[in-house]
Amino acid sequence: MILQSLRLSLLVVSITTVVIAVAGTAFAYLLAKRRFRGREMLDALLTLPMVLPPTVTGYYLILLLGRRGVLGEPLYALTGWTVTFTWVAAVIASTVVALPLMIKSARAAIESVDPEYETASLLMGKSEIETFFRITIPLASKGILAGVILSFARAFGEFGATLMLAGNIPGETQTMPLAIYEAVAGGEDATARWLALILTGISVTVVYLTNRLSRPTPGR
Amino acid sequence: MLDARIRKQFGSRDGGGPTIDVHFRATEGITVLFGASGAGKTSILHAIAGIIDPDQGRISLGDTLFFDSASGCRLPMRKRRVGYVFQNHRLFPHLSALHNVLYGARPDAGRAPRERARELLALLGIEKTADRRPDQLSGGEQQRVALARALAADPAIMLLDEPLSAVDVATRSLLIEEIAAIQEKSGIPFVYVTHNHTEALRLGRRMLVIDEGRIVQEGPPLEIFNAPRTAPVARVVGAENIFVGRILEHHPEDGITTIDLGSCLIEAAYNGLPPGRRVTLGIRSEDILLARERITRTSARNVLRGTVQRVMREMDRAELVVSAGVDFKVSVTPAAVRILELEPGREVYLLFKARALHLLA
Repeated sequence: MILQSLRLSLLVVSITTVVIAVAGTAFAYLLAKRRFRGREMLDALLTLPMVLPPTVTGYYLILLLGRRGVLGEPLYALTGWTVTFTWVAAVIASTVVALPLMIKSARAAIESVDPEYETASLLMGKSEIETFFRITIPLASKGILAGVILSFARAFGEFGATLMLAGNIPGETQTMPLAIYEAVAGGEDATARWLALILTGISVTVVYLTNRLSRPTPGR
Repeated sequence: MLDARIRKQFGSRDGGGPTIDVHFRATEGITVLFGASGAGKTSILHAIAGIIDPDQGRISLGDTLFFDSASGCRLPMRKRRVGYVFQNHRLFPHLSALHNVLYGARPDAGRAPRERARELLALLGIEKTADRRPDQLSGGEQQRVALARALAADPAIMLLDEPLSAVDVATRSLLIEEIAAIQEKSGIPFVYVTHNHTEALRLGRRMLVIDEGRIVQEGPPLEIFNAPRTAPVARVVGAENIFVGRILEHHPEDGITTIDLGSCLIEAAYNGLPPGRRVTLGIRSEDILLARERITRTSARNVLRGTVQRVMREMDRAELVVSAGVDFKVSVTPAAVRILELEPGREVYLLFKARALHLLA
């Protein structure tokens, strides 16, 4: 149970973190740099999972992706496959729940880059995309990295939305937080202790790293 | 040749905010935009570079149209080939000096960008800083790297926004010479924003005085500094009279150095510079006395006969231009204007102490 859930958690959380790092940076760029209609609406929508109870987020995801869901139904009709109760659902649930942390952190970091650096780059003949990758991202890297680590931690501890969308199937969707719940509910104290200890250890390491990264470098 | 017609209203539409309304051309050589801070000089550079768009106007460089409100044409800034030097250098903090220069470098005449970048650093005497980050450079080195970076992209025009305002006086005079040399070598127009007299005098072939978003006078810098046409220009260019002359001879025992201004001789405090050396001198307009008769027994070492050219009245004072071989700005009270009956054509004597003259460069 311990190794199985640890392995699954690590799989789910690594994919989630990669997806969040890429999508979160892209969303943060859109929200920070582009002026378009519904920009603040998009921000509010993406931030919503941060303030909603995860079970509510999970419930919405079922409405969207379940076999009868808005997207889930045509997907099932087309492929005969449903995302619910698979490890992919665990990835989706933790991505949606952890993404706001990444967006908040990365958007603030991107907005804090002095636009004159970007102007200087454009004036030297560089495109906006090249400027973003070679100037904005390096200058915002601390905030972006902090966002990645925070959302990693959040995804690692994801419980509610995952339970709703992915269920609690050992070896399939039972990540560590779910395994702890089951261990405690089933009176398996030793298992619960070990799981809790490992989870705490990883989270403490992550918070420590975040603090180190957000500290200003001496001499700057 | 740059041809810029720019109209822009900032802030509220109904005329609350500051306005820019200028039309000028900049040919080869350095065109200086001179004005107090907030006069709109930087906004003019921004409009040329494409950082802001005018409400109305047309900006072109040679055959390239940058902006035209009539046809809706707007060339994006990355296609304008503008070399821009920011007031606070804006070197990319995460890149070394060399990589800052390399960042926008275009290959030139078959040479690789890296070779060209190294050459530019060498040209500006900073090859040793190549591997250092901007925060490890001195103010002068930072501006040199910023210049090299702007030049590396092979610009068709250079825009410099008070590039020397943050460097110390000694470095400034060195960099002024380097900028002049670079301009001559590059053969492209430079538009140079400053409110420093020394920079304007040394660099400007032509100067535009900007006040409240408008060009209030244009011409050679020296001419404008010494003979502002209107009271606003006089206010912008300041109270300084500036003269270029040569050291003629020294009288150390009298504490005097005689300087030849070409059309008259003046006596300044002893400075020991080699005779024949070109110098730039300044004297504030309030430090000059006017008299209707020649006064002989006076401690003022300089008594020059001149003719009043212009009288510009302001609220509590009057600015005069008096020609005595060269033009002097003289600032007096309205009372003096009335009692001495100062008006254009009036013959007067200018008196000033040798010590009131100071060496600018």
